[in-house]
Amino acid sequence: MKFTDIIGLALKNFLRRKVRSFLTILGVTIGTAAVVVMLSLGIGMSEGFEKQMEMMGSLTTIEVNRYYYEESPRGGRTEPATIDDKVIEAISQIKGVKVVTPVMWRSAKLVSGKYMAWAQLYGIRPEALEALGYVPAEGRLLNPGEHDMLLFGVGATQNFYNPKTSRWGNPGGRPPVNVMTDRLELTLDDSYGESWADPNKKPAKLYRVRTAGILEPVNDQMDWCVVVDIGYLQKIVREYDISQGTFSRDTTSYEQALVKVEDVHQVDYVLQEIKAMKLGTFSLQDILKGMKEQLFMIQAVLGGIGAMSLLVAALGITNTMVMSIYERTREIGVMKVLGCLLTDIRKLFLWEAGIIGFSGGVIGLLLSLLASYLLNRFGGDLGGLIGGGIYAPDGTRLPISVIPVWLAAAAVGFATFVGLVSGFYPANRAMKLSALEAIRNE
Amino acid sequence: MPNNIIEIRNLRKVYHVGSEKVVALNHITLDIEAGEFCCLVGTSGSGKSTLLNMLAGLEKPSLGTVRIKGQAIEKMSEKQLARFRQENIGFIFQSYNLIPTLTALENTAMPLIFRGMPRKQREALAREALQRVGLANHMAHRPTQMSGGQQQRVGIARALVSRPPIVFADEPTGNLDSKTTREVMELMTSTTRDLGQTLVLVTHDLSIASYADRIIHISDGNIVKIVNNRKRLAK
Repeated sequence: MKFTDIIGLALKNFLRRKVRSFLTILGVTIGTAAVVVMLSLGIGMSEGFEKQMEMMGSLTTIEVNRYYYEESPRGGRTEPATIDDKVIEAISQIKGVKVVTPVMWRSAKLVSGKYMAWAQLYGIRPEALEALGYVPAEGRLLNPGEHDMLLFGVGATQNFYNPKTSRWGNPGGRPPVNVMTDRLELTLDDSYGESWADPNKKPAKLYRVRTAGILEPVNDQMDWCVVVDIGYLQKIVREYDISQGTFSRDTTSYEQALVKVEDVHQVDYVLQEIKAMKLGTFSLQDILKGMKEQLFMIQAVLGGIGAMSLLVAALGITNTMVMSIYERTREIGVMKVLGCLLTDIRKLFLWEAGIIGFSGGVIGLLLSLLASYLLNRFGGDLGGLIGGGIYAPDGTRLPISVIPVWLAAAAVGFATFVGLVSGFYPANRAMKLSALEAIRNE
Repeated sequence: MPNNIIEIRNLRKVYHVGSEKVVALNHITLDIEAGEFCCLVGTSGSGKSTLLNMLAGLEKPSLGTVRIKGQAIEKMSEKQLARFRQENIGFIFQSYNLIPTLTALENTAMPLIFRGMPRKQREALAREALQRVGLANHMAHRPTQMSGGQQQRVGIARALVSRPPIVFADEPTGNLDSKTTREVMELMTSTTRDLGQTLVLVTHDLSIASYADRIIHISDGNIVKIVNNRKRLAK
């Protein structure tokens, strides 16, 4: 038989018992909608978490710390570790690492005429800035090996104040110092120029510095930092310590390193490799992973509840098909006597079941899209109840229920598959029916 | 030398009902010529229907062989049998056995659908077959909208549509009144003759058997009498 004829006959049979077909489809519709809506809630939660994570920082950045947490059956222990140039070089060799840079912090003071500003200096290798996602809003990024150059976070430009009047900034107006054009000096003595400064303290050196640029806001601590070349920072720290007679600092180890990974999917692998070097790591991915594991459990439970109703619907399909074969025993027998191939008879019934599954899947999907829309539009309170209803940074509410294209396609595909599986036993039964028995029954 | 389209050799069929053996057919040997109208007559339970079922390959014999066009059909697989029926056999039933959801035209085209013939081609053939049985004006009717005689005409059209060399008919007039019976019998006789088909008909009614070229009386699984009535072959 031709494929189009099989479909045509299956459709005719399907339309023959309208009420029964409708009820069977309704079962599949409810089952599909239950699964899709449940899963869409899980996906909504998952996307919400990811958006939250993105607000906190990049998922492809790993922090490497100078301690190592050793896990043992009797509880963990924190061991010190060293991050030196050799370690940095080794990390840069790991597959998937885009860039790695040591990191160093130091608080300092900026001076511009009568104004001063407290500054958190952030030493980094300038070549890593671009890879870490920093974009200049004004000016440019730093060049490698560039000394006496500053790169301001957007918040750090607002910190200038007059220590004599204790007036902070210039509320409502332009900041008193334009870091791009005004004369700037830098000192590591953070009590410099303050009334509370220790008069016996040896004077620290003032470095004449210039500004390379101001960064675009990134909504984290970097907005309040002033970036410098880490080599430069190491140099002035050494000079300051010598001037204060306190030079004993271990300058071969950095406080921290930042690793940028090429792709989100490689983060896990890179994390494992760095941990294997007995270094401590922190990544938003760690938090996300824990959350995702929990979410997976929630999704499994939600999906399971939905799947239960789809299972009931599948039994409904089988039942309908078995009934319809009882009714059509004679017809099936006649078809056999007239020379219909057994496999064609099976196909006829399989397709009929498939059509039930497919229709139920499509209607169920439409119902789910409607339910999803209503949930997102009016379901605010419910969102809070189940952990969704998160707000994006710009204040719009993130959807509670998300139906991605793959879920929509999978829902229809799976419903059809359920139909086919449910129809398999009845179809085989129809195929094996004795033609003689079938035409004999009067 | 007669051209035998059906050769039955030593055919035996035994049913096991509980622990008892029931002999439905007992060593039947019979040849049926191509183009012949052959009637199997017998009372209920004589084994005539069993014989027909075995000729159509619906039942496997316990012993013996049935050759149609030289092919032993009891040795065929289900798939081969289906193909064989598509090409060689038309079937007319007592209770018409039309598919209620399909129109007369679609019912008639059924055997061609199973062969995978494209719609246009098979509908043209079905239309022609329906015209031949005098139902040119009922093509779009469903079985429930037609009388018994009309339904059986559709059944005949269905058996003719693929021009099979052999047509089997099992009590084709069993559900019809005497006037309609006569019409249907005349239609079957004339169309099978015009198309050169071999017709094997099972009945318990001797008046119907009188249409046949040869009447084979069956009783208790044995051929008890063969009456030649060769008006058709003589022509």
